[in-house]
Amino acid sequence: MSVLPYLLAAWIFLAGLYGIVSSRNLIHLVVCVSVCQSATYVLLLAVGYKKGGTAPVFADIPSSRRVVDPVVQSLTLTDLVVAVAVSALLLSLALKVYDHHESLDPGEVTELAG
Amino acid sequence: MTIIPFVIAVPLLVAAALAVVGKWLPNRIADVSGFVAAGAPIVLVALLVTRTAHRMFVYWFGGWKPERGQFPLGIAFAIDRVGAGFALLVLVLLTAALVYSWRYLEEEHYLFVVLMLLFGGAMVGFVLTGDIFNMFVFFELMSVAAFALTAYKVEEASPLQGSFNFAVSNTIGAFLVLFGIALLYGRTGSLNLAEIGHRLTQDGRHDGLVVVAFGLITCGFLVKAAMVPFHFWLPDAHAAAPAPVCVLFSGVMVELGVYAVARIYWTVFEGVLGSFEHSITDVLLGVGAVTAVVGAVMCGMQRHLKRLLAYSTIAHAGCFLIGVALLTPDALAGAALYVLAHAFAKGSLFFACGILLVARDGIDEFKLQGKGRGLPLTAGAWFVASLALASPPFLGTFTGHAFIDDSASADGYWWVPVVLAFATIGSTAAIFRSGLRVFAGIGEHDDPLLSEQPPESKGPGERPSLTMMQLITLAFALVGLAIGALTPLAERVQEAAHHFVDHVNYVQVVLDHAPLAAVPPGEWKTTTSSLVWALVTLFGSALVGFASLYRARAPRAVNDFMARALGPLRAAHSGHIADYIAWITFGTAVIGGLFAITIR
Repeated sequence: MSVLPYLLAAWIFLAGLYGIVSSRNLIHLVVCVSVCQSATYVLLLAVGYKKGGTAPVFADIPSSRRVVDPVVQSLTLTDLVVAVAVSALLLSLALKVYDHHESLDPGEVTELAG
Repeated sequence: MTIIPFVIAVPLLVAAALAVVGKWLPNRIADVSGFVAAGAPIVLVALLVTRTAHRMFVYWFGGWKPERGQFPLGIAFAIDRVGAGFALLVLVLLTAALVYSWRYLEEEHYLFVVLMLLFGGAMVGFVLTGDIFNMFVFFELMSVAAFALTAYKVEEASPLQGSFNFAVSNTIGAFLVLFGIALLYGRTGSLNLAEIGHRLTQDGRHDGLVVVAFGLITCGFLVKAAMVPFHFWLPDAHAAAPAPVCVLFSGVMVELGVYAVARIYWTVFEGVLGSFEHSITDVLLGVGAVTAVVGAVMCGMQRHLKRLLAYSTIAHAGCFLIGVALLTPDALAGAALYVLAHAFAKGSLFFACGILLVARDGIDEFKLQGKGRGLPLTAGAWFVASLALASPPFLGTFTGHAFIDDSASADGYWWVPVVLAFATIGSTAAIFRSGLRVFAGIGEHDDPLLSEQPPESKGPGERPSLTMMQLITLAFALVGLAIGALTPLAERVQEAAHHFVDHVNYVQVVLDHAPLAAVPPGEWKTTTSSLVWALVTLFGSALVGFASLYRARAPRAVNDFMARALGPLRAAHSGHIADYIAWITFGTAVIGGLFAITIR
């Protein structure tokens, strides 16, 4: 199978990490975490891909048809649910940080150090 | 045992129900349902622990039990004694923490109970499951609950930052794990730990894919285990979270990261990577040793009591990884015993911090100087717990230390006992020092080497029952101390560890319904060297702790030199999430690179 999807997943992940490290805004930072998570979707779907395969819904196709792996698709869905929970929590924290500091710059939030 | 699912179903379902109707319930009812939901599964899990001596329980959800040799389509709980014992520890700590927080956090109290039950239930599921994706889901569930618990006092600034750093770091760690899982699924087509291990062994290739998957999963779980350089989130989260939550964080959550590394190695990778045992030992030992040393040094420089205890947890977590990294059943048994004694002793110390916050409105060592005098039970608990952590002969963490030390020396790693002793002395001395200052009021009133004064943290602001809180605290300290004296326990744990590392038998039990193989009966021997090290750590902790009370009196040149030498280390703990993620990226590259170089 082509190695391209794997490289793409790694690239998206690294791009997300770069975004987190260089971020000057907490909302932007949370979106970068989501970008990292998108890399896992790409990887999971790539793992289950079969050349010429169709969607694994057997209601209207003969059971001999070549299909892609349904397991990784359900893993991706589970992963999405997790992502929603984490993003929602992080965004609400970012809002609260803004209430306290009137700023979303992570550089100005320095209660904890040492 | 068809009642197995109830172990996690009870806390999770009660949490869900409370979340819906809790608003209209009096706080007391929410509390009581919390105790019941956390306490009832204790009976079931205790039953599992007693009955897993010579067998494993494999429970297939929805009746998807595969015939012999058939491909496992279902999701299974595979419960061995180590897993069941861990689950029991989680539930006992959870119940104690809930009882302790009776009237502790009055506002929206039911939400606190809901989050605690979710957190505990997910941790129990994590240790019982035999499915790698199931592990990931429980991992995320417990993480999200933990993030929310850290930010529970959302009206203050530092819980927000602590929770944010914790959440982003651990989420990135979870992605690393998920990457590894996807690669393993791509190679084996399975998510069952036993089946993946079986197929990897049959396949026999230890190529790039397997090594990358191993590196990613290990690094991902090491973020949770707070290993250097993935540890930065831990002190932030502990400084900010309510004290009873810290008990669970330090006592079991961090240890679950180490548990996961061990579980995944022995079920999945041992068959295919077993011939590279030495390389894996060397890399993980290195990580553990650096963590133990950094944790101990940073611990000595804190004056915020909860942050101090957090760094002590990092030092001990490094020792746990060392126990696992030796890849011998004896050292693993040592790590398990160590985790057990540490959980109770450290739990007691965090409980004591909560009492100081309630009764004395402070968490800063200097602000509290001498103010602990009116709390004799808490003071007693503090010193008993520090004694338990100092690994004195036949008490506290001694059995754990002795197993790891002896196993390491037998394998030629002579320096491991030295690192363990350094970590123990460094962290226990700091705990002892702060205890003397707070409860006895002695020592200088300033110390230039310690971190800056922490921002004011409000106590919970309610009037909880101090007597009960103090009794729980003291009971935890005594249990932590007593664990080292129970030699039959040490022997049972040793047998459980032998079962844990038997990769071939695990596969047979889960997939072929085979019985559990016999292991040699546990045998506890006290060696002279372990006794000597125990005396070294005991007196070393007491001496260093006492001396550091008067550190300000040391010659100026000495203090200046230490401040300069330790400055960069302290500066690395910047509190900035960007730095933390950069360190995680760097650490993953280094550890993964070392695996890639050494495993060929």
